[in-house]
Amino acid sequence: MNSVVASAVPLFGLFTEPVSVAHYLVVGAILFVSGVACMALKRNALGVLMGIELVLNGANVNFVAFASPYLQGEGSRSLGLDGQVFALFVILLAAAEAAVALAITLNFYNNHATVDVDRADDLKG
Amino acid sequence: MSPADALTQPALWPLSLIVFLPALVAALLALPIIPKAREEAIRWVALATTVVVFVLSLWMAWPTLFGAVGPAQFTVGEAGMQGVVKKPWIPAFNIDYLLGVDGISMPLVVLTTFLSVLACAASWPITKHVKAYHVLFLLLETGMLGVFVSLDFFLFYVFWEVMLLPMYFLIGIWGGPRREYAAIKFFLYTLFGSVLMLLAILMLYFTSDLRMLSPEQLVASHVVSPSLDAAARADGVAAIAAAKNPVHTFNLLALAQLGQLPKSPFAAVSVWGMSLEVWAFLLLLIGFVIKVPVVPVHTWLPDAHVEAPTPISMILAGVLLKLGGYGILRICYPICPGAGLSLAWLVCGLGVVSMVYGAFAALAQKDFKRMVAYSSVSHMGYVMLGLGVWSAVAGNEFRWDAWAQGVNGAMFQMLAHGISSAGMFFMVGVLYDRVHHRNLEEFGGIFNRMPVYSGLAVAVFFAGLGLPGLCGFIGEVLVTLSSWNYSRTLAVISAFTVILTAAYILWAIQRVYLGAEYKGPHGDHLTPMTGRELAIATPLVFLAILFGVAPQLIFNYVTPSVNRQVETLADWTRDVGAKAAQPIAGGPAAADVTSR
Amino acid sequence: MDLASQLPQLLGLAWLLPLASFVLILFFGPRMGPHGRNAAWVATAAIVTSLVLSLVAFVSWLGVHPAVAAHHGGDHGAAHAAEEAGDHAGSHGDAAAHGEQHGEQHGGHAEQPPVAYSGDWYTLYEAGRLKLSIGWYIDSLTILMFVVVTFIATCIHVYASGYMHDELHEVTDHEVHLADGSHLHRPGRFPRFFQALSLFCFSMMGILIAGNLAMVFIFWELVGICSWFLIGFYYERKSASNAANKAFIVNRVGDFGMLIGLMALWGALGTLHFADAQVPGADGQVVSKPGLFSLVRPAEAGHALRVPDGMVKFAAAEKVAATAPGEVAGKVDVWRAEGFGNWLLFIAGVGIFCGCVGKSAQFPLFVWLPDAMEGPTPVSALVHSATMVAAGVYLVGRFFPVLTPDVLLVIAYTGAITLFIAATIALVANDIKRVLAYSTVSQLGYMMLALGVGGWVAGLFHLVTHAFFKSLLFLCSGSVIHACHTNDMRKMGGLAKVMPYTAGTMLVGCLAIIGAGIPFVIGLSGYYSKDSILAQALSFSQANPRHAILYWAVAGGAFLTAFYMFRLWFMTFSGTPRDHHVAEHAHESPQVMVMPLLVLAVLAVVAGWTLPGGFGIANLLEQSRPAGTAQTAQGGFAFGQTLTLPAEHLSHEGAIHVTATVTAFATALGGVLLAATMYLWRVISPAAIATIFRPVYTFLANRWYFDELYRAMFVRPAHGLAAVASGIDQGLIDPFINGLAWVTRQVAGIDAWIDRTLVDGLVNATASATWAAGLELKKLQTGSLRQYVMFIAAGTVALFVLASMLFRSSLAG
Repeated sequence: MNSVVASAVPLFGLFTEPVSVAHYLVVGAILFVSGVACMALKRNALGVLMGIELVLNGANVNFVAFASPYLQGEGSRSLGLDGQVFALFVILLAAAEAAVALAITLNFYNNHATVDVDRADDLKG
Repeated sequence: MSPADALTQPALWPLSLIVFLPALVAALLALPIIPKAREEAIRWVALATTVVVFVLSLWMAWPTLFGAVGPAQFTVGEAGMQGVVKKPWIPAFNIDYLLGVDGISMPLVVLTTFLSVLACAASWPITKHVKAYHVLFLLLETGMLGVFVSLDFFLFYVFWEVMLLPMYFLIGIWGGPRREYAAIKFFLYTLFGSVLMLLAILMLYFTSDLRMLSPEQLVASHVVSPSLDAAARADGVAAIAAAKNPVHTFNLLALAQLGQLPKSPFAAVSVWGMSLEVWAFLLLLIGFVIKVPVVPVHTWLPDAHVEAPTPISMILAGVLLKLGGYGILRICYPICPGAGLSLAWLVCGLGVVSMVYGAFAALAQKDFKRMVAYSSVSHMGYVMLGLGVWSAVAGNEFRWDAWAQGVNGAMFQMLAHGISSAGMFFMVGVLYDRVHHRNLEEFGGIFNRMPVYSGLAVAVFFAGLGLPGLCGFIGEVLVTLSSWNYSRTLAVISAFTVILTAAYILWAIQRVYLGAEYKGPHGDHLTPMTGRELAIATPLVFLAILFGVAPQLIFNYVTPSVNRQVETLADWTRDVGAKAAQPIAGGPAAADVTSR
Repeated sequence: MDLASQLPQLLGLAWLLPLASFVLILFFGPRMGPHGRNAAWVATAAIVTSLVLSLVAFVSWLGVHPAVAAHHGGDHGAAHAAEEAGDHAGSHGDAAAHGEQHGEQHGGHAEQPPVAYSGDWYTLYEAGRLKLSIGWYIDSLTILMFVVVTFIATCIHVYASGYMHDELHEVTDHEVHLADGSHLHRPGRFPRFFQALSLFCFSMMGILIAGNLAMVFIFWELVGICSWFLIGFYYERKSASNAANKAFIVNRVGDFGMLIGLMALWGALGTLHFADAQVPGADGQVVSKPGLFSLVRPAEAGHALRVPDGMVKFAAAEKVAATAPGEVAGKVDVWRAEGFGNWLLFIAGVGIFCGCVGKSAQFPLFVWLPDAMEGPTPVSALVHSATMVAAGVYLVGRFFPVLTPDVLLVIAYTGAITLFIAATIALVANDIKRVLAYSTVSQLGYMMLALGVGGWVAGLFHLVTHAFFKSLLFLCSGSVIHACHTNDMRKMGGLAKVMPYTAGTMLVGCLAIIGAGIPFVIGLSGYYSKDSILAQALSFSQANPRHAILYWAVAGGAFLTAFYMFRLWFMTFSGTPRDHHVAEHAHESPQVMVMPLLVLAVLAVVAGWTLPGGFGIANLLEQSRPAGTAQTAQGGFAFGQTLTLPAEHLSHEGAIHVTATVTAFATALGGVLLAATMYLWRVISPAAIATIFRPVYTFLANRWYFDELYRAMFVRPAHGLAAVASGIDQGLIDPFINGLAWVTRQVAGIDAWIDRTLVDGLVNATASATWAAGLELKKLQTGSLRQYVMFIAAGTVALFVLASMLFRSSLAG
């Protein structure tokens, strides 16, 4: 039965196995997809920004997951903190990005009295 | 140019000055030294230049006139090249700045400088762009003189082209109503000829090989300058002899030596069934006969003459046409004797056709200037016939004197025509300046209105008619008499021309000068000749009479050189040509030699 | 006395003086006295001096070579002369008195060449063996002609200074109508007339003294142009300038033939000198270079006519080419025997004769002479009757040794045709000068015929006598015209009463021209010369029966001459005036015009006489008889038969002489009587005869339609050809050239089109495709952020899908 379900439903095995890197990846993927969907679907610029945050955080989860010591080979000479360092960079970057994006949004609001990204087609070629 | 050069090549400065002084002054004039508006000053400067050049050339050609005879001056009666100047110009292609004069070119140089003076004086009525006109005029003079004195084929070609361009502008800007058509026609005709000439030049150049010449020939043809000392000469000769690859040359004298070798390199190569010699001869001939011009490539001449201003017509008829005859004599025959022998019928035939055709066409003209232009075609036909009568053949026991007579006659005819045709065009111009038309039917009675002018004009026209005692006679009679030994048929046709010549000239005189009253417009403008016009016409008439009465004045220069060339070619015929006669259709007198 | 150096100096000076006069009048004419009156004196002084010099030369000649009665056969005279020449020429070598060298070697029957002095003054061209020069050839004929020409010219200068006095002031030319209907007024041209006359005298004497044919040709042309000036003296008249042009151009037609003759001689023989020349040889010695005479009649052949070596070789050029150089000389005789060169010599002779045909107005080129009467009458007398037109006869006489019997036959027939045609036209002409002009043509025909039948002395004798009486006749007619102001004989009549001197002298002229005289006793000058022509023609006809017509032509011509000359005289001088307007004004001419008439009349009477002691023109001429022509000769090849040229002395003897004299007398008398019946006694009405023979009359009155014929045959075709030549230029060559230009422009146009459409098109298409693509792509950039995100997402997914599909193996790896 178990094997039947496992073969029929993708990723079913996740539910039966102990938490591993794969589970982290699933969470990262969900975050990423939610973020992309949020960016694509929200018309509010702030929503879009939130979507971006979600995408970045999804990526962060992946970084951290792949930094798992279990995935490191025996002869690795690194400290094994590469993923975490990247994640910290991304967080930093996200903060800077959010500051710039919010400034743009604020300016856009000042100019157009709206934060609807569909109205912002000034970049149209 | 170091002082040493002036010692070994004494003619270096005089000859170079004669050629380049007009161009130099033209360059100075082109600079804004004299303002454009000071037209009178420009005219005087140009006139002074031509006079200086004329005096220089006279100083060279007629030493006894100036007292002591210097080494740079011309020795009358000597056959060979004199006053040779040689400087390397483009050594990579063996191109030299090689100038020199002999009895053939010296009189033509003097004729050119003389007519330039007269034409410059005749340019006074020109009021449009005076400065540009005189700049171009002086450039033209340099071109013409350069052609006559250069002995390097490349240099020759350069001058040939230099002459072309000013002429184009002179006709195209200062001409009559159809000037642009006439100028372009002239330019394209001549350019067509010179392109073919260039082809021939390159053919000859790349076939030539100086190693085939003996040391004596190398020195004689100035490839190795005879002015060097013996050791330097020996070095020069040795350098050529030791060369691994053929040593090409543009030197006309050396090319002639090569062409007359028993095993001429030009006759050895065959292209499309004919030897390269024949090709080169034909290409050069086409280039030259366009300039002469002969029928059927003559139609640029009437148009160019009718449209050109009077002084340019004088130069055109007086000098430019002579370049063709000079080229045939200096280049075609000595370099390609084999082709000359087998194609003599072509040269003579073209000459006779031009004589008759030109005379008939002149008879039909209504335009005075056009009639004179056609008379030029007819008269230059004599030159062609005289140059071509290669009668030194086996049946004639290789006697050269009849042919030499023809060539001498042709040379005389060129000089005489230079005087008479320039005079005729000037006379037409004098009338045109007054009444502004040239319709032969609308003149008449000029004799009573302008007696002095008419007297001079009739004298000039009689010179053209070939009246004894005037310059036209000697050349015509020598050429006609010499042609009998070449071909009876051509001789009879050429003799027939005397009737036509009399007809068209007398008829024109009758319509213009005789009669009771002037029939055309502007009759009140028929004022007597001005002093300036008189000063131009009188020397021409004087020379026409002088050369008619004392032809030796010209023959003293011409005959030695011509005789030497003809004698050399006659010997060549006996030794080489008669044995290797090239079968080309329509041999000279095959048909009528059997008259008994 | 050194004749050989003296004669060229004397005659040379006599020759050049008129030239000096010409130059003087040319430059200073209008300043010579009022209206240039003194120009006449300058010209007359020059010609008188020439006459004196010629007379001095004449006397000098006679002092050395006295004219003696010819012992029939002429060899005595010639031999004597040659002996004399031998003495003199032997003592000095500068001039060639040729002939003495071979005398001893070929003694016995061989003839001696006549004595002549020759040499060169001046070289025009020289190269190799060829030389053209100005030189002299002086024999008794030259001197005689010098005297005749200068004498007549003197008379005419004097006469003209009276006749031309109209030209001393403003002239109203009544024959010229201007556009506004008035007559032309112009200043007089007195000096110009004498200027041209002087130039003419110079040119004419140049022909006489010429030492070679080239020089003859030069002065031949010069007299032609002088004639052009003089005929066209009234150049305002269209008819005058037309006549002048016609004269010159017709003469040029003859010169065309002459040039061919010159070429034939020059090309083959390399010399045009008459006599041998002494030239410096190779090693400093003086070598004799044979002239034409000794080439054609070499002394070693007994002066018999022979084709010269040069001509044989020339004609046999092909054989020469095939022969080794050393053997050519040996084979010449063989080739000569085969007939090589005969034609060449014939062509040379006929060619030179062509020139004479033009100048001497022979058939078919005689048409210019009657028109030439447009010139002033003194000109007609000097140029167009006595001297210039005689130059042709003179040249045939001078060139006689080179003429083959065939050429002589051509000459004889030409003369016969000419004399007949011209005489018939003269019968009906009404212009007094035209009658004389046709009479001149006819008499020149006589001379030619005489030379052609071998009468060398007869022809030249007639030339001299004719010069006197014809110039007399012309001057008389000038006097009449001067008095009547018309040329039309129908308006004259009865002038003998008012103009006794003119009438009398003209009667003398008429009698002289018809050869009047008492048979076998004495006569006027024409009696002697005409009789000898008739006799020689008879002699020739007897020797060559097929050519008997030549004799009948001469006899018939004599009848016609007598008729038309007396018709002229009767119409002009006898009876009553026909036009009173003319008669009222008629008066005798001034003394300056009458004097020359009287002088010439005397000469017209006595010129033919032989004085006791043998001095006479015929004997003088006999001295210069060309070598080899005194004896009867046979020859000829061209017309398929042998011709016999009877010796001239045979015609002076026996039956021939008697027959000829009687015939001449009878025909002349018949002609005069017929003229008298018609015009003096009016027994027969000329008008009636003209009506009866209407077609003949019209034909003759229109001068056989020669002018019309020539216009149709030559002038029109020449203009047609001229138009064709000009048309070819404008209709064929130029359109061809312009067509070439057009084609080039079209080709250039196609080339430009290819550039514009194909090459440029390709480049532009690339550009525009890029542009269009850009435009299309631009639409993707909507500016909508959400869309962009969609694209990013979809793109990422697509990339993943693509990568997983394409690079499955590497991913798997």
